[in-house]
Amino acid sequence: MKLQHHLGGLENLGPVAYEPRVFVEDWEQRIFGIHVAMMGLSTHLGDAVPQYPIEDVPSAFSSVWTWADLRKGAEAMHPFAYFQYRYYEKWLGGIGGFFVSQGYITEEELEAKAAEYLHDPGLELPEGGDERIDDQVIRYLREGDTPRQGPAQSPAFAIGDRVTVKDVPPTDHTRLPGNLRGRTGTVERVFEGDYGYFCSTGPDGIGEPMPVYAVRFEPTDLWGELAEPGAVLYGELYQAYLTHAMEEQQ
Amino acid sequence: MTVQFGYPEDREARSAARVRALEALLIEKGVITGATVDKVLGHFETDMTPLNGAKIVARAWTDPEFAERLVKDTPAAVAELDLPIGMDGAEGEHLQAVANTPGVHNLVICTLCSCFPWPVLGLPPYWYKDPTFRARAAREPRVVLKETGLDLDPSVELRVWDSSGHSRWFVIPQRPAGTDGMTEQELAALVTTESMIGIAEVPSPAA
Repeated sequence: MKLQHHLGGLENLGPVAYEPRVFVEDWEQRIFGIHVAMMGLSTHLGDAVPQYPIEDVPSAFSSVWTWADLRKGAEAMHPFAYFQYRYYEKWLGGIGGFFVSQGYITEEELEAKAAEYLHDPGLELPEGGDERIDDQVIRYLREGDTPRQGPAQSPAFAIGDRVTVKDVPPTDHTRLPGNLRGRTGTVERVFEGDYGYFCSTGPDGIGEPMPVYAVRFEPTDLWGELAEPGAVLYGELYQAYLTHAMEEQQ
Repeated sequence: MTVQFGYPEDREARSAARVRALEALLIEKGVITGATVDKVLGHFETDMTPLNGAKIVARAWTDPEFAERLVKDTPAAVAELDLPIGMDGAEGEHLQAVANTPGVHNLVICTLCSCFPWPVLGLPPYWYKDPTFRARAAREPRVVLKETGLDLDPSVELRVWDSSGHSRWFVIPQRPAGTDGMTEQELAALVTTESMIGIAEVPSPAA
């Protein structure tokens, strides 16, 4: 199992760091901006609902980059490192590594350039570039990339159904919170339409369009004697993660 | 933030230099332009801020029928208001409001990553993304709320929404006492990001 897939309910972590700022260091803003630009220039947007003219955008970026790619990187980390590094440090590691592994840049030129900026932090960034790149990124921010696809097919579960969460095989990426595996809850809402995911998660089971449900879990069914009274957890779960509860099948 | 691990003394300077080097190389190679990152950041500084959420909440407080529509079909209700372009854009494609009542308090979390309704609340604060919050809020949300100053009555049902699917949840907090006769604009000024995530209530202006 991956610790990153099972954070919910992990014990003994101590107090929460209530840091209200979004960016705790100025540099973090830059990696956030780069990530958003990559999502807005991702080649998969040519097939997205707004049908972005991505092939006509004069950017050298020719890859798919979505939340799934960023998340996969974080989920691939050593679990201790996941806790060691701050949020945007993980982004910087993952995104820098991506551009090197895909051949856009080399580790050597990144190191050399970083040494220049480390030596002289006041050194300016290069200027210029084709404005149509920025226009596409801003258009993506304004119009988005919905995972909803096609009309709703007949959902397998209805409101009020008792459902048990499958214990699907662990994969490099999932949208199933680990603390819900094997647990039984009640369908409280069937979302309209079917929802795909950025990529196939293989034996984990999501990717193709499918119904999604809001499932209500009672605290004692999740946490046993550690449960807080009256604290109900809702999971938003893809149909592939659910099966009819055993108690209903009898 | 955790200090359990050792870090190099120039930790932040190294990251700052590396991200600047990465941005410079991406500009040189034509992946992005010299203005892309600034334009992205500008979008969040001027258009997509928690002010949008505050305006939505204030309207819900003053118009019960809007409040009802807001919970039932959040994107359609949000589209009724005069807000910046892109409320249904990135990370706002499937907004979903949940309303607090005297008997129910809602809290939004994301145990798998950091899903957040950008157009309504802007970008998530650090604590929301911190693994400790994500882990603890799932199992002991009442204790976590108490630590931040919200001592929820035991009779109140606490609903924790783990953002593992397509929806981007946000909370319509309860209107505080002592706000009778206030304008929508005055009410919006009271609404905090924390209250729209659910780790706080909106304080009464009289308090």
